[in-house]
Amino acid sequence: MAAPGTLWLVALFVVPSYAILAVAFGDIDPILRTAAPHWNPVSWDFTAMRGVLDRVFFGDLRHVFVRTGLFALASLAGCCLIGYPVAYYVARSARRSRGALLALLVLPFWISYLMRMLAWVNLLQTDGYVNRVLGWTHLGSGSRNWLDGDWPTVVFGLIYGYIPFFILPLYAALERLDGRLIEASRDLGASKIWTFIRVTLPLSIPGLMAASVIIVLPMCGDYYTNTYLTGGSPRTEMVGNQIEFFLRGSSQPQTGAALVIILMIFLMVLMAYYLVTIARSQREGARA
Amino acid sequence: MGTTRRQFIGQTAGLGVLLGAGIPLLGACGGDDDEGGAVTDAIKDGLEPEAGPLRIFNYADYVNPDTVASFEEQYGVKVEITTFDVDAEAITKLANGSVEIDVHNSAAPNSLNRLIAGGILQPLNKSYLTNFDNLLPSFVDPWYDKGSKYTVPYTVFSSGIAYRNDRVDPAQVEEMGWDILWDPTYKGVTSILDDYREGISLALLRAGITDVNTTDKAQIEQAGADLSELVKTMNIKVNIEAYKDIPEGATDLAHTWSGDMLAGVWYMPEGTDASVLGWWYPSDGVGVVNNDCMTITANAKNPVLGHLWINHLLDTANAEENFGWNGYLPPIKGLDADYLIANEYAPENLRSAVLTNEIIDKGLRFEPLPVDADRLWEETWSKFTAG
Repeated sequence: MAAPGTLWLVALFVVPSYAILAVAFGDIDPILRTAAPHWNPVSWDFTAMRGVLDRVFFGDLRHVFVRTGLFALASLAGCCLIGYPVAYYVARSARRSRGALLALLVLPFWISYLMRMLAWVNLLQTDGYVNRVLGWTHLGSGSRNWLDGDWPTVVFGLIYGYIPFFILPLYAALERLDGRLIEASRDLGASKIWTFIRVTLPLSIPGLMAASVIIVLPMCGDYYTNTYLTGGSPRTEMVGNQIEFFLRGSSQPQTGAALVIILMIFLMVLMAYYLVTIARSQREGARA
Repeated sequence: MGTTRRQFIGQTAGLGVLLGAGIPLLGACGGDDDEGGAVTDAIKDGLEPEAGPLRIFNYADYVNPDTVASFEEQYGVKVEITTFDVDAEAITKLANGSVEIDVHNSAAPNSLNRLIAGGILQPLNKSYLTNFDNLLPSFVDPWYDKGSKYTVPYTVFSSGIAYRNDRVDPAQVEEMGWDILWDPTYKGVTSILDDYREGISLALLRAGITDVNTTDKAQIEQAGADLSELVKTMNIKVNIEAYKDIPEGATDLAHTWSGDMLAGVWYMPEGTDASVLGWWYPSDGVGVVNNDCMTITANAKNPVLGHLWINHLLDTANAEENFGWNGYLPPIKGLDADYLIANEYAPENLRSAVLTNEIIDKGLRFEPLPVDADRLWEETWSKFTAG
């Protein structure tokens, strides 16, 4: 019974992860300067990893990691603020209109991520439609350079790019909520807001956690959102940009692979927290 | 632990090329297709072209589709183009066999020693290259491939400053030179090339250091510090978008390649004339000049077609047609500034972006760096881009 899951895990996680380890602790081809993975752990060389750890904890890469984390957190907050009401609205809307609403939510995402980011580059240009609308409505000066390497643009891009992946699992969780519990709360005199705070929100925490994990993991490795929306500003460089440089544009693939491992470890901590929270939530649910 | 044969070749590959002995030195290390050895035998004369398809490895949008179509029509074959973004990516993909390629259309001269020593390339048989004599004299026997044994140049370009002359005074650019990229007056509207060799060389040249292949740690680190200054004072952008950002006005000043500015003519917004484009290159000729090379892979399935493709691009008319589309100058006789301006390929105000023999001969070259120095350059660049 576990065979399909095991195969999935081996093919899509264990093997790629081991390949990253083999590159990170391997060597470079002395002639071509490409990765020369060491598949046998006995011959692993940790020199590159030590150098990268030194840069991550005590050097210039520390603020790249911090910046990436802050961008992911800010984007997650944005996704919660926008995505939760949307998911809630869709989950509570009439059954026959839900399909259409979900289709509308997903529709823009039939276009590739890169194409959508390039479209935003046009929209956000100084003479683009965003500035024109802001100018017409007097909500802004209409001359702001949104692509000037400022963090809000990157966070906006991340929110825009990942929000459907936040809404859909959250919708699934909210849609499964037992409506009788909400009715009971109202019958017992709780206001709509209080019912939301004391009943709906706590019950949707597992869905919220799952949605958060689903978007934060890829956000932390994202590099093209920053590349496209800032014109390549070092002020918004993310870990993914450094990984891309070392793995694709340099003669130090071990450094790139080491960065991948360090990022994975950070994200595993996040994942572990999610799993513990879910397990605790399920235990409490079972007791109730 | 002793030095392996492959490591020995790796350490001597760069030295061999730099000494101008390149291939003979590498060839002496072993036979054809030997591990770490160069392939030394070209295809035989007089072979019939293969049925194709011809598989070309190139940067995106770097060859005129009409030039490809005319080749397909002439030889009755299909051409398939696979693209890469950076030179290191191309080397990795060729080395690990993730792409099957006949012609590497844009190999960097400073990487050739590795591709040759790694047995990735095969020598050319010039009997198929009937247009070889069309090349500019400077490229008949280039420094990176003595005797043009493995390569033929595809394009040649310099690195300079592109600008909008309606926003930046040309006299000021002339006066300040590289320093203008550090002038806070242009904060937020300046960019530099996203290329570690180009970027660090820019800072070296600004500091008066003309050794763009330096291995001096202090010089490299100072160049990195000078670049980092750009992040705070200039809010610098690091990209390869000047070919459109300058014409569109998103950027006023850009450290970029001359070909980007010549191509930029085609990216002018409606109502804006190309006469607003400006180009600066050091008047003393001490700047970086680089070129891309066409070469045939050792495991090419269509080596004869590959030679014919290279010959196709060496044809003056085809080279002109290709230039008219991508803006990067083929080093072919007759395609000089006077001709290109007279035929409206380039505006008069970009005359200096069309390389002359003098600029080509005087230009500084990116040579292969030793492993440790290359790492230092890369790490310095990584620190700068980390902000």
